[in-house]
Amino acid sequence: MKNIKYFLFAFLLGFTSCSDDEVPAEMKVNIAIENLMDASLLELDGPSYMLPSGEAFTPKKFKYFISNVKLTNSSTGESYTEPNSYHLISTGGKTSIDLGMIPSSGYDHILFSIGVDEVANGKTDQTGDLDPNSDMAWNWNTGYKFVVLEGEYTNSVTNERAGLVLHVGTNQNYREISQQLSGVRAGETTLITLVTNVDELFINPNTLPISQLASTTIMGGEHANKIAENYSEGFITVK
Amino acid sequence: MRYQLPLWAGVFAVLCLCSCSGSENPVNPTVLISLDAPDYFPASKALPADNPLTEEGVHLGRMLFYEKQLSADGSISCGSCHQQQKAFTDGLQFSKGVNEAMGHKNAMSLSNLHWSGKFFWDGRSGSLEEQSLEPIQESFEMNLSLAEAVERLQQDEKYPALFEAAFGTNEVNAERIGKALAQFERTLISANSKFDRWIKNEVKLTPEEQLGLELFFTHPEPSIQLRGGNCSDCHLGFLTAGDSEGFMGFHNNGLDIDENLDPGLFEVTKNPFDQGKFKAPSLRNIGLTAPYMHDGRFASLEEVLDHYNEHIQNSQTLDVLILEASNEQINPTAPIKLHLAQKEKEAIIAFLHTLTDQQFITNEKFSDPFN
Repeated sequence: MKNIKYFLFAFLLGFTSCSDDEVPAEMKVNIAIENLMDASLLELDGPSYMLPSGEAFTPKKFKYFISNVKLTNSSTGESYTEPNSYHLISTGGKTSIDLGMIPSSGYDHILFSIGVDEVANGKTDQTGDLDPNSDMAWNWNTGYKFVVLEGEYTNSVTNERAGLVLHVGTNQNYREISQQLSGVRAGETTLITLVTNVDELFINPNTLPISQLASTTIMGGEHANKIAENYSEGFITVK
Repeated sequence: MRYQLPLWAGVFAVLCLCSCSGSENPVNPTVLISLDAPDYFPASKALPADNPLTEEGVHLGRMLFYEKQLSADGSISCGSCHQQQKAFTDGLQFSKGVNEAMGHKNAMSLSNLHWSGKFFWDGRSGSLEEQSLEPIQESFEMNLSLAEAVERLQQDEKYPALFEAAFGTNEVNAERIGKALAQFERTLISANSKFDRWIKNEVKLTPEEQLGLELFFTHPEPSIQLRGGNCSDCHLGFLTAGDSEGFMGFHNNGLDIDENLDPGLFEVTKNPFDQGKFKAPSLRNIGLTAPYMHDGRFASLEEVLDHYNEHIQNSQTLDVLILEASNEQINPTAPIKLHLAQKEKEAIIAFLHTLTDQQFITNEKFSDPFN
């Protein structure tokens, strides 16, 4: 009897160790970001794109902060929060966030913010993507620009070349985003692709008719707040 | 509170460069040094792996910077057009080379170059090592071939030993000349102006300087009554220098209409969008570096402010941040004007003078060793 028990134990042990269902403790996760406008990949200083309000637009600069990235698994309650999570994403610059090796889980949500949280937004002694020497630091009173889009468009009323300059920031325009993930399997190398759609800055829910605006330099005030409402939904989505 | 951490002290370390070579080939140890920069300068920029900073390299670079043998007729050195007391400019619209040859660009001030990405007004050089060899060869500057430069230094009684000390070989070559000059140029750090002391909370600015600072760092938006001088859109952050990423720090600042644009960056990239773009230089010590602009067309800071305020010339590549900047509601058919008040222009100039660094222009480490 003892022998049988021993045999069974050995059998079970053998079974588990040969199993290929064993989940490694950590998994590699990378986030890639694609910047799109007018259904095409965004390029600077070259092609012209159509703004939602119909004007031809040539982008010169597109930069924004994605911060406080977190992955959660709603069925197990597990989560991973990236430490010191501030990423300056830009066309022509950084377009991926490498989370490296993180605890394995079947994550089904990604949470992140657009902008820089109030704590980090009040300091200038920061390095890396928050280096205040970059063009994203506004000045010492107002913190960072969260979303920057600059370019030129042809005004549909005057037919003149004009500048479109969006610098949206300030704490009230910090937005937390939550998106569902599908197909992430615990232990497997994962690539999450986010798509950022420039058009969404100008529509949903607030339509901004560019040629009709009194000023197309938007750096605060009512229009900046409207743009923040627009980027809080549909601007950055999981592909 | 702005910034209260103390200056980052340079860390000195001793490294024996010959540590893996045999004992039969002893080389004097070189002393590795790091840039003595404040911690509010960008921290992420590393020194080039193939040209670390050493005391011996910087010393050689300083000698070469002031070495007149590097010009065809022995009449000028780098230091002739880059004079320390003028923050390494020469006070002239265009500089004179050997044989009375005239250049066509204003000599650039040299400071905090380690944090700059592209060099020359048109950005044609990607590193200091490469940049520093050009004026030696340029016909209207020092007009000396690199082969001749190497030959002269090799034959000189002091240089072979200085190259030996800096690079472990007494063989002079162009690459090592460039490396030594680049090392010296990297040490030209200006970080002790009144503005720096303000950043560190050591001094207060006068009310006029404070107003100037706020205007300098603000893009105007009349719809929310935000007044600004629009300077920091191009002259960024604590360095007050152009963006060091790629060619992002190059702009057309409205000097001329399309027909008269000096090509600038277009010569380098051949991209029509780059027509008339020039490097936005650091504004540190700007009070000492007149005349202004790539062609030295403005004699004073007052003229510069007048230009940005009321004389912008529109063109196809005019920077959108200038096109779109005004302290009054923009009328698209009216000329582009910033609409600053006279006392606001004066305040910006007062702030610009806080960027003057007396220690920088008197630091003996940067001075002519032949004097």
